[in-house]
Amino acid sequence: MKLELGNFYVKDILFGDQTKYEKGILTINKEDCLAFVRKDPHITEADLRIVKPGDMVRLVPVKEAVECRVKVNGDALFPGYTGPLSQAGNGRTHCLKGMSLLAVGRHWGGFQDGLIDMGGEGAKYTYFSQLKNIVLVADTDEEFEKHEQQKKNRAIREAVHKLAEYIGSCVKDQEPEEVETLELEPVIRRDPETEKLPSVVYVMQPQSQMEEMGYNDLCYGWDCNHMLPTFMHPNEVLDGAMISGSFMPCSSKWATYDFQNCPVIKRLYKEHGKTLNFLGVIMSNLNVALEQKERSALFVAQIAKSLGADAALVTEEGYGNPDADFTGCIVALEDAGIKTVGLTNECTGRDGKSDPLVSMDEKENAIVSTGNVSELIELPPMPEVIGELEALGRDGLSGGWAGDEILGPSVRPDGSIIMENNAMFCGDQIIGWSVKTMKEF
Amino acid sequence: MKNVVCYINQFFAGIGGEDKADFEPEVRDGVAGPTAAINQGLKAQDAQVCKTIVCGDNFMSTHRDEAVQRILEALEGTEFDLFMAGPAFQAGRYGVACGEIGKAVAAKFKVPVITSMHPENPGVEMFKKEMYIMVGSHSAGSMKQDVDAMVKLAGKLLSGEELQGPEAEGYYQRGIRHQVWLKEPVQAADRAVDMLIAKATGKPYVSELIIPKKDLVPIAPAIKDLKHARIALMNTGGIVPVDNPDKIQSASATRWGRYDISGMDRLEGGVFKTIHAGFDPAAANADPNVIMPVDVMKEFLKEGKYGSLHPYFYTTVGTGTTQGEAKRMAKEIIPYLEEDHVDGVIMVST
Repeated sequence: MKLELGNFYVKDILFGDQTKYEKGILTINKEDCLAFVRKDPHITEADLRIVKPGDMVRLVPVKEAVECRVKVNGDALFPGYTGPLSQAGNGRTHCLKGMSLLAVGRHWGGFQDGLIDMGGEGAKYTYFSQLKNIVLVADTDEEFEKHEQQKKNRAIREAVHKLAEYIGSCVKDQEPEEVETLELEPVIRRDPETEKLPSVVYVMQPQSQMEEMGYNDLCYGWDCNHMLPTFMHPNEVLDGAMISGSFMPCSSKWATYDFQNCPVIKRLYKEHGKTLNFLGVIMSNLNVALEQKERSALFVAQIAKSLGADAALVTEEGYGNPDADFTGCIVALEDAGIKTVGLTNECTGRDGKSDPLVSMDEKENAIVSTGNVSELIELPPMPEVIGELEALGRDGLSGGWAGDEILGPSVRPDGSIIMENNAMFCGDQIIGWSVKTMKEF
Repeated sequence: MKNVVCYINQFFAGIGGEDKADFEPEVRDGVAGPTAAINQGLKAQDAQVCKTIVCGDNFMSTHRDEAVQRILEALEGTEFDLFMAGPAFQAGRYGVACGEIGKAVAAKFKVPVITSMHPENPGVEMFKKEMYIMVGSHSAGSMKQDVDAMVKLAGKLLSGEELQGPEAEGYYQRGIRHQVWLKEPVQAADRAVDMLIAKATGKPYVSELIIPKKDLVPIAPAIKDLKHARIALMNTGGIVPVDNPDKIQSASATRWGRYDISGMDRLEGGVFKTIHAGFDPAAANADPNVIMPVDVMKEFLKEGKYGSLHPYFYTTVGTGTTQGEAKRMAKEIIPYLEEDHVDGVIMVST
């Protein structure tokens, strides 16, 4: 499988008469893009904004981030979801780099939604403050969930998944500034030098805890709650096979942008043939019933063993209940003789004194830690808010609250906020961006 | 000038040894015993020992609530920035006393607390989450070394200098974890793959989360012949004679007792009670057999369901009690059971 990522580095984004990319400048025809978004009759209100690193702007409730791309051969950017099924991870995909497309609720947020500060001291809490962002701010007629804490956010998320391809189409026929070629030989046909190196698998546990469909991550459009762990080519993950869902406290989530740019996969590619033999990805899940967790761990260990893996890197999109899957999977791999490293965040509480994971085992002797979901964060007012600041306290965002005897409300009358890290948009960057760690005090 | 309040026991204050261990708490202006050396060390930090509290180890362990209350009241109105207790070396009662008073002072006056204990001092497990406990020496022969270490950390805390964590600073891990930004910003993806390569190739690496070791005890094999077995009763629910003769603590227990039941058919309320602070005691005080089922065991004995009953039951309190203390108490109890050829124990937890 050979994937060519043709990269176009966006230096600036402007609104203009035509959606086009020219010499590093991406111009967006706002009305045209909004007309595209409004094709879904469930979108009742929509606007586009542009925000850049350093802008004194607060975005909340943020629901999704996607990289704008197009498949040059005309296949769907997210096969089985935004279009017919086709093989992801092959051929040429053109990508607008250094930017993302964000989905923000005009009014309503939920448990899974997050906050981004583009400038000021709050900017360090999210990866997306480092990118230029086109922001779709929208409302929908999804009345059934307007006042629910758990929201599927179907219309607004699907809007950016489709709009990402619509905007990406402007570079379909252009020559990219750089082509990144990602190719792995079949697992059993590798050169002898590579085969002498430790062979490794990357085990991903995407979010799949909800029994009802519409909330979980998707794999080729298929709800991850309904899958068993399977072997995937890393190119599939990078090329639109995986779509982020709408469940889990936000700082522990992986956005679709994160799957498309997964830094662990990029690094394993870089090491392939030099320090290790990258076999591929085992895509597992995070279902809630114990038997499902145990079954998934058995499948992962078996696939890794059958592939001849010497080592594995396991990572979870979540905390709390998913810690049981994370620990169970690491123990199963270690028991199968596979040297395993875990990549996760922790939940040590506001005072830092709680157990870091819900489930722990001494066999987890190599962990990289990316943050504490319950760290308290206090931030000054922002001159501008895109979305609705009240959502943080009102709508049950995992890191916000309406009132607290000691701390008061999350959103104060002057626009300053106090919240848990939980509600920072993909804040713990477990996908691999995080430059945070956990320290003993 | 910053102010530090210190706590030492009757021995280090020069009052006396075990015979003076009932010495009641006293707050002195300035220094006493080893706090003179602490005061000397703090000079460089523009700080001083403004008060030294002296209390007998026995008094603190047997009248804990009263001792703590009296000390807190005596400190009312005193302006201070830091509280230091000990060093306590391997002295168990002294270590626990330093911990008890340090915890109470931290809660009331919101100041950091430093003490120092040898790794085998039971106070370490009981209080390391509550305060900075320096990894201290075995005995007072190393007084200077332990005081110097405490003063060094005190200087950093008083000046607001960022601490480098338990290993670098020399205090026990407190199990308090917060997120920090790496000084050299290496992405988690790179840290994880680097760790993976190191682990796969047998090279050293440092995990960012050390999982504490579990001390699992396997389940004992079943008793084959119950008809002839000798059974003993035990509980962590705090059932004691009403005067609590062994002074077992209501929480974070370090003490246990055993009580003769050979001459009774049941435990009577008013004769026995619970001193456990972790649940509503009303039911157990009315009928102590709901925790320590002497009544049922005596009936079963008459019915011949089992062979014989060990003449004592054993009690401690489970709430807040550390694994280390529980293990020590078990080791102290086991010889009594072995000597009496006990085959099985019914352990009631609450």
